[in-house]
Amino acid sequence: MMLQPSAPPGWLLDFGQWGVDVGIYDLMNTRWGWPIGESVHFTGLCMLMATVGMFDLRMMGLVRELSLSALHKLVPYGVFGWLLCVASGFLFVAAAPLEYIYNDAWQIKMVLMAIAGVNMVVFYMTTAKRVYALGPDEVVPLTARIIAVVSLSSWLGVITCGRVVTAFRPFWE
Amino acid sequence: MMDVFRWIEQTPLSVFMREDFYAYFVVLIFHAWAMAFLVGGGMAVSLRVMGVAAGARLEKFAGFFPFMWIGAFMAILSGLLLLVGYPAKALTNWVFALKFACLGSAALLVRYMARTYFPIAARNEPLPRSARWIACACFLLWIAGVTAGKMLLHTYKILMVTSP
Repeated sequence: MMLQPSAPPGWLLDFGQWGVDVGIYDLMNTRWGWPIGESVHFTGLCMLMATVGMFDLRMMGLVRELSLSALHKLVPYGVFGWLLCVASGFLFVAAAPLEYIYNDAWQIKMVLMAIAGVNMVVFYMTTAKRVYALGPDEVVPLTARIIAVVSLSSWLGVITCGRVVTAFRPFWE
Repeated sequence: MMDVFRWIEQTPLSVFMREDFYAYFVVLIFHAWAMAFLVGGGMAVSLRVMGVAAGARLEKFAGFFPFMWIGAFMAILSGLLLLVGYPAKALTNWVFALKFACLGSAALLVRYMARTYFPIAARNEPLPRSARWIACACFLLWIAGVTAGKMLLHTYKILMVTSP
């Protein structure tokens, strides 16, 4: 993990100032700014679970008799959910960078998101075509099952880290 | 009512939920996972009834119900533990009732869709026109429930009846 310096580095202070200059800080510190941002963030995560998460459960073999190629049509809605998370998450970080950038939970969350992203690329480059060609009752190849386990675990890890971010707020002198 | 809150706040379980460093966060994590499975499954069924992923057989979405049930069970259990920690915070806030109304209505609509539309889909017959509207309402109710849940932290008037 990125080690925390004793005082906030200049680039972090500059980023925080940028958040103030463009109005993100003021927006997020209105009465409803932060609560609405949090609602959008978790709604996005639920959409991810509704689409990518359910696709993963099917690919793991825990749900059967559903065509994976048809179920994959849900995934663009998951991408939309992910975009909601990224947009709202960016507003949180830009409004309070000192609370996030050197926060262990937030850093692990970013690593898990990167793992989920790489895992997705691996899926599309290796097993996606074979998976889409399967009939609703056919057994999913082991590689695809492993990819599904990594994907679902990563997203559950992202949720976990998101919940404990407040417990790992960095202390600045 | 305040006497009941005071009594709950003084039980060992309530004190443990508030004062143990890990307890509250562990329960919060389980609550978030549970909600993700419950709401995620509900949203998936709603999206399918709305016409998304039309090639996937609707009645087979029943395969997601066990995960939704596990999610519901975990959400209720973890929710009760969170409630025991701060009973007055939740039970004096109307947003808490709104959260339950939205999530309960959404769950009932999923049950209605499963009982009404799944058999129709299994017979390869087209769904009634109203199905999409009901699915859309269900989808929005899940979002409203999640939103109300997130608003709880920002709308409560009383944290505790006894001093912390």
